[in-house]
Amino acid sequence: MSRIKAKRVGFRIDMTPMVDVAFLLLTFFMLTTKFRPPEVVKIDLPSSHSQLKLPESDVLTVTVSRDNTFFMGVSSQQSREKIFNAVVKSKLQAAGFSAGAITDSLKQFKLAENFRVESGELDKFVVMARFANQKLRPVIRADADAGFDAVNQVIKVYKKANMLTFNLITVLEKEVR
Amino acid sequence: MGIVDSPNGRRHKKKGRRQSKRIGFHLDMTPMVDVAFLLLTFFMLTTTFSKSNTMEINIPPEKTEVRVAENNVLTLRIADDAMAYYSLGENAPRKIPLYDTRRMALSGELRQLLREQTKSNEKLVIVVKISEKAKYRHLVDVIDELNLMKIDRFSLDDYTEQDALEIKRAI
Repeated sequence: MSRIKAKRVGFRIDMTPMVDVAFLLLTFFMLTTKFRPPEVVKIDLPSSHSQLKLPESDVLTVTVSRDNTFFMGVSSQQSREKIFNAVVKSKLQAAGFSAGAITDSLKQFKLAENFRVESGELDKFVVMARFANQKLRPVIRADADAGFDAVNQVIKVYKKANMLTFNLITVLEKEVR
Repeated sequence: MGIVDSPNGRRHKKKGRRQSKRIGFHLDMTPMVDVAFLLLTFFMLTTTFSKSNTMEINIPPEKTEVRVAENNVLTLRIADDAMAYYSLGENAPRKIPLYDTRRMALSGELRQLLREQTKSNEKLVIVVKISEKAKYRHLVDVIDELNLMKIDRFSLDDYTEQDALEIKRAI
């Protein structure tokens, strides 16, 4: 018979490579993670079979919520600043805000992913965004139960601003036909 | 958790006053590695590589007119009651349900109609008109269906009062 195995007391294993890999993965996930900003409104996206992905930069998003209110978002901060200077600033000045308050709200505006837009002012904001960045890709992110009139208004605004190719955000439909 | 050592794991004793060069000092890295793994699992579990799916639409510019022969136009009107009304050319529209009752998908009737019509007439242009009172969902579903059938000759048009009158004479 074979030898009786000695009970292995306190054996050691070099864990350095495993820890190295763990740290590598950790740094990767930490650097790639972008925390999802808190949503202003809950949007229940419609489903489709489209697999096209949304581009990452230069996106102009108009969100239409279930109760037909509009929110607008531009992905780059420079564009946001231009929009602020062109549209929002004059309005704040007219309302009698001090220069400091305006700078503060600019800072806030630059960080905001989405801001609310009244339906009458949507065209002004979209045209300004278009001026600020010519390469903007217009996107509509509307709730499935939003009225078509509201969405149609956005489409008309895009058309007026000569943005004729745009994307509708959907979620992938699970059901297979 | 394992103990991570530096290669020379033996601690040297200090000799006298002068501190000798510390070769191979021992450091227990267990807590650090524990925290690292904790963070790693957290980030791995919370990360979703989500990029939204989108659907691309082209709309014609404001002031262009494309003339299409009347009998090559299939108008598909979608009213607020989730009913589709289709008409070829100037014919009276016919009413078909937009959705299947069982599944939340477009009705087989409508799909069959679109498939047959596009097959029989290659020049067919589908004009989709959606009532202002309808839901955005209808637009997405119709366009999705057209995309699935690889029909790219379609366009969106405004739903006017005339269209509302038109669907009243539906059969």
